[in-house]
Amino acid sequence: MPQKPVPNFDVIVIGGGVVGCAVMRRFALNGAKALLLERGEDILSGASKANSAILHTGFDAPPGSTEVACMQAGYAEYLEMHAALNLPVLETGALVVAWNDEQRAALDGIIAKAHENGVGDVQLVERDALRRAEPHLADSAIAAVSVPREFVIDPWSSPLAYLRQAVAAGAQYRFNAEVTGGEFDGKMWRLRTGQGEFNGRIVINCSGAQGDIVQGICTPPTFEIRPRKGQFLVYDKSASDLINAIILPVPTPTTKGVVLTKTIFGNLLLGPTAEEQDDRENATVDHDMLQGLIDTGTAMLPDLSDHPVTATYAGLRPATQFKDYQIKAEAGKNWIGVNGIRSTGLTAALGIAAYVEQLCAEHFTSFGPPVAPGFPTMPNLAQHLPRASQTGDGTEILCHCESVTRGDVERALTAEVPARSLGGLRRRTRVMMGRCNGFYCSARVAELTKGKLDRPLDGGDQT
Amino acid sequence: MSTRDVIIIGSGPAGLGVAAALVRAGVSDILVLERETEIGGIPRHTHHPSFGLLVFKRPMTGPAYIARLRARCKGVEFRTGVTATAVDGDRLSIATPEGPQTLRARHIVLATGARETPRHPRLVTGLRPMGIMTTGALQQFIYTGGMKPFSRPMIIGTELVSFSALWTLRHAGIKPVAMIEPSARVTAYRPATLFARLLGVPIHYRASVTDIAGRDTLTHIEIDSPAGRRKIDCDGVIFSGCFTGDNNLARGSGLALSPDTHIPLVDQNWLGADPRHSVVGNTTHPADMGDQCYQEALVAGAYIAKLLQSGPPQGEPLPIRHGNGIKMTTPNMLRPDEQARAFSLNLHVTRAWSGDISVTQGDKTLYRKRHSCLPARRITLKGIRFDTQSTAPLQVSLG
Repeated sequence: MPQKPVPNFDVIVIGGGVVGCAVMRRFALNGAKALLLERGEDILSGASKANSAILHTGFDAPPGSTEVACMQAGYAEYLEMHAALNLPVLETGALVVAWNDEQRAALDGIIAKAHENGVGDVQLVERDALRRAEPHLADSAIAAVSVPREFVIDPWSSPLAYLRQAVAAGAQYRFNAEVTGGEFDGKMWRLRTGQGEFNGRIVINCSGAQGDIVQGICTPPTFEIRPRKGQFLVYDKSASDLINAIILPVPTPTTKGVVLTKTIFGNLLLGPTAEEQDDRENATVDHDMLQGLIDTGTAMLPDLSDHPVTATYAGLRPATQFKDYQIKAEAGKNWIGVNGIRSTGLTAALGIAAYVEQLCAEHFTSFGPPVAPGFPTMPNLAQHLPRASQTGDGTEILCHCESVTRGDVERALTAEVPARSLGGLRRRTRVMMGRCNGFYCSARVAELTKGKLDRPLDGGDQT
Repeated sequence: MSTRDVIIIGSGPAGLGVAAALVRAGVSDILVLERETEIGGIPRHTHHPSFGLLVFKRPMTGPAYIARLRARCKGVEFRTGVTATAVDGDRLSIATPEGPQTLRARHIVLATGARETPRHPRLVTGLRPMGIMTTGALQQFIYTGGMKPFSRPMIIGTELVSFSALWTLRHAGIKPVAMIEPSARVTAYRPATLFARLLGVPIHYRASVTDIAGRDTLTHIEIDSPAGRRKIDCDGVIFSGCFTGDNNLARGSGLALSPDTHIPLVDQNWLGADPRHSVVGNTTHPADMGDQCYQEALVAGAYIAKLLQSGPPQGEPLPIRHGNGIKMTTPNMLRPDEQARAFSLNLHVTRAWSGDISVTQGDKTLYRKRHSCLPARRITLKGIRFDTQSTAPLQVSLG
């Protein structure tokens, strides 16, 4: 039997997190024939599925770092193009709040660092003004630094939009395609995956928590992934009016601390914890840690105790032993490692993509001519903008907690890059993400998705 | 925009009870809104005979029960697949497949029901595989969807609804591996344990879930009990009971809520803080039996019919406060009413209590009687007589 020829690509991106999706978009729009290999059932199966969804200015990032450069480039590009993709931005601003005299004394340093990073519109907010701006904060809040251009975005629709733009420009993707090995013959990489073999001239490793393992296919890694777990609590929509701005803590050398923020979906988010762990696959939530988080949150925002918790989740951030991102072209190997992209990846992704393209051009090759970009209209999931359930799409509301219509679900199952897993469907529509955790709608979701998901909700193997 | 006589939000036993009472009283312009595609609320997906004993003197399945209740609502208009999004005085905003609409009514009834507390708000440790659900979801999978989501689930809780989960599983030929109860006895009536024993399902007492394992599909859970920590293989977890009122419409609309329970304020005639609203059924007392909700709604509906004739009641409402060990009371406020100087009060306790329950107003004791109370069931204090002239709040206390 003749063997199927191994397909050839200009660029293979390993890992469909937010960074991988942004890199795909960049190369595809510049005319490269690009392929995304993702080990999970959907994009955002790893670190990118759990973050605080903030679009950062980079005001507190290490000055002069690759991280701050990518964040600021990514921030600017996001604001430039979000409207064309119908991606929402909630312009909340942020307040770095001091809760004691020691933290109060650190605020001047935060302002100085922001100025060094080119974020000039930060301002000291004294106690009375802080009280007026955030009347629900505990009395122990004594002062703050205001960062007006820290915003809240949709952490799942954005990367999906990047990949859909790439696909519209001719890119391909494979899910359940873990890269298990590969060889470079001096011109071309041949990668082995759960979905067969693929050839690529350039390989870009965006594999997040698997970064050092995948890097080992090319070269002994110069870093190691030290997964850091962050647990979050999502409060009911009734709680989101308790704050106006994102409430950031004064960072310590080891952690950025616990954040209170509105989500774009109209909830209030509290987290993350910061826990080092060896397991790079599994992020468990933990009752005692969550209870501790509630105590921390309630100390900052006492009225929080009047509001129910809707969801709990945990994510793994692919930290390394280094503070900065580890983005590097491997000379003579046609391989670019994009590693150690910690919690700022959502903001920085588009900037990282531009930087990677530049590295590729400097060290290996450039592509072209550019493709005229298509702009898929992403379904709006933001609470502050009209949803399909509000404008009416001819179908009834299916998920009452999150106002998801039957049409929303049906469209997510048929759109470009359709949902093939329950997680993917939830991230594309918000279905089953609300306070009832599926009490009302999960059986109907199971019926609607019959035969359309890789692992059906009804178990599937029972008759 | 025309003004309806009464709009009822929710078509479970409470909503249907209000509608039936209004029909009986001769009110004709009644609209019932249901956000699901079929009317009936919880009974719609409870296909075993746990309804009807009080109302029809015989056990009935949920769908049969709802059909009988609906038959009593002659001339009532039902709209399904529309969602009430905000109540504001006599106006009601709804979301429909064709877009938003505003309706108007002389009286608006919130009968939005209750639901179980699912996994996440319980802050359970572990991963987030598929196969974790509530009894309500389970019943929809099995009874209305004909699906089997798992074959060896664990049931968390021993309330009446937990045994309803057991019954539902039995219908699908699924044998749960065990039931888990945090306290030393079942929360439901003791004979319910016989049912578990007959099916060969062990109940672990003083036990809690300490881990849920499995990344995509559930592999096992870990429980902590006096026997120590151990893993139990299972492929599903049913979090049953711990009912909470579905008060999001009321809360989102800014209706006045009880400050400690966040349940909408409701007086002894089921009127809300705004006398153009009533709040009826399990949304204020999560969760009593469907029959109890229906019977209460008949009284509430008759009162609404009277109000439509006579106009709103006069007088400032008095709060009804409650002490430790009490989860909530219905009513949670009192309107002075010259015609009725006595009322009944429904309360739920947070822990088992045997002893006096008292209702006081200022230095006067209005009620004191011995009760044996267990959590998650209705305790009724009957015939509480009150002083219509006093402006002092009422206090309900254990002891």
